[in-house]
Amino acid sequence: MITVTHLTKKYGDRLAVDDLTFPVAAGRVTGFVGPNGAGKSTTMRMMVGLTRPDRGDVRYSGIRYRDLRHPARTVGAVLEARSMHPGRTARNHLRAAAALSGIPTRRVEHVLADVGLETAADKRTGTFSLGMRQRLALASALLGEPQVLLLDEPSNGLDPDGIRWLRDYLADFATRGGTVFVSSHLISELSMFAHDLVVVGGGRLLAAESVQAITGRNDIDVRVETPQPTELLEHLAAAGIAAEVRADRLILRGTTRAAVSQIAFDNRIHVLELTDVSRSLEDSLLDMTRPTAEFASA
Amino acid sequence: MTTPHATTMPSAATPDLRHLETRTPRGDARAVAGALESEWIKAVTVRATGTILALALLGGLAVSWSVSTFVTDRVQYVADVGFLWTGVTAMLAAIAGVLLFGSEVQHGTLASTLAARPARWIIVLAKTLVAATVGLVLGAAGLAAGFGGAVLAGLEAGDTSSVATTIGWALLYTSLSAVLGLGLSMVVRNSTAAIGGLLVWAFVVENLFRLFLADEIARFLPFVAGNHLLSDGSGFESAGALAVALTRPENALVFGGYTLVAVVLGTVLLYRRDTN
Repeated sequence: MITVTHLTKKYGDRLAVDDLTFPVAAGRVTGFVGPNGAGKSTTMRMMVGLTRPDRGDVRYSGIRYRDLRHPARTVGAVLEARSMHPGRTARNHLRAAAALSGIPTRRVEHVLADVGLETAADKRTGTFSLGMRQRLALASALLGEPQVLLLDEPSNGLDPDGIRWLRDYLADFATRGGTVFVSSHLISELSMFAHDLVVVGGGRLLAAESVQAITGRNDIDVRVETPQPTELLEHLAAAGIAAEVRADRLILRGTTRAAVSQIAFDNRIHVLELTDVSRSLEDSLLDMTRPTAEFASA
Repeated sequence: MTTPHATTMPSAATPDLRHLETRTPRGDARAVAGALESEWIKAVTVRATGTILALALLGGLAVSWSVSTFVTDRVQYVADVGFLWTGVTAMLAAIAGVLLFGSEVQHGTLASTLAARPARWIIVLAKTLVAATVGLVLGAAGLAAGFGGAVLAGLEAGDTSSVATTIGWALLYTSLSAVLGLGLSMVVRNSTAAIGGLLVWAFVVENLFRLFLADEIARFLPFVAGNHLLSDGSGFESAGALAVALTRPENALVFGGYTLVAVVLGTVLLYRRDTN
């Protein structure tokens, strides 16, 4: 169990991480989501002692990271896939990492095979694609056969095959009792294998719940197709119903099919389709984080 | 403003991490050997180190042979010409020292290094020892090339009575130079700035200071003290400088002092700064 307690970090006047408290359970995959600038990377850096929190701490079964006897054998972290010397070969990169943590050199060959980089082991990493770098970074994290994986955007640069491989690998790692804490902006991707989600925005905790709990409390939207959208929108607005136009359909929130049907009937508006639509996890999370996003699409 | 939701993630029902051990002073001490091996692997598996070694060898050979062959207005001996290249070798060692830390910052590998060993003194100690060794190897290569060039040019040996002692001081100089470069890059955290600063200081600033400062003060400049490790009294710029010259052990203390300050300051900053 990882416990993050009152974690706070300020850069000048800006609170990058604001009093974050959440648990990360063993044997599960926990997704860490939030918009750009939400404080995800800063939080992950504090979790491995690279950034000093102004307040709060992170403990692994009650022990602070810096007090762990074998950090690399406890926590495998990938914080930046590009972090490797371009002139060094993949094998030598891993040899140096293994030696530093007192990990037997034979593990180098194992992890190279695990991530599918055996044939590129003696190539300089400067020739690697981003996807290959991601695999090598993951290999480095796996060297110490850690119980915890902390991964910051690990699917960046991976091809679809690589993403599927990573998803299966992390799910399997958790099934074997490992703890996976993974940040990603690909919410739909996370929703396929994460058990829990920690949602942050503006440095603050917005939610720390199981995926099931988050999707379970989603409202149902009503989708309407009509040849008279302008008229229907006017009458919906008059009834206080929020509507969003997507393609040639209206998406209505906070209402029911019966209510919309009644409004259309009363106003002689022709309706071609009237459907309940479950909102996706992505929609829910975007709703949650939108008010805190530093950069938002128009 | 969004209201935080309750934290309802499972906890008690899920398995906990296997038993974790806490750090001990003895465990940290044992970790030094691994850190040394790691730093050595890092040092010898990049092209820069080989390139600097090749420069120390080929440059030393070329300069020594050229001076031996083309400078004919005085009698020269292997015992003197052999040390001509050492000052430059010391700068090459300093550059190698800068790269031991600077390239980690430049390529973002410092984060994984420090994450693997939160006891940062282990990393500093390992890098310092590796820097000193790299400086020693470069110094030996530069000296071999310097003596080799003079021998190839056909110079006579000359008075060799103090050669062994001077070689010892020269190797100390190149070793300390590499550690000074390491310390400087730990402070500056930018290879280009650290190397540029070193070169400008050694070849421009110090020479300007020597023009304007009294000899009693100029003798404490880092590379004045360092270069005087190679000289047992000859080669001083003026009689005044010779009169106030420090002994070799004193010069070693001055140059070593600058090195120590750089490494200590770099270590303090390594502990205090966040790592990206």
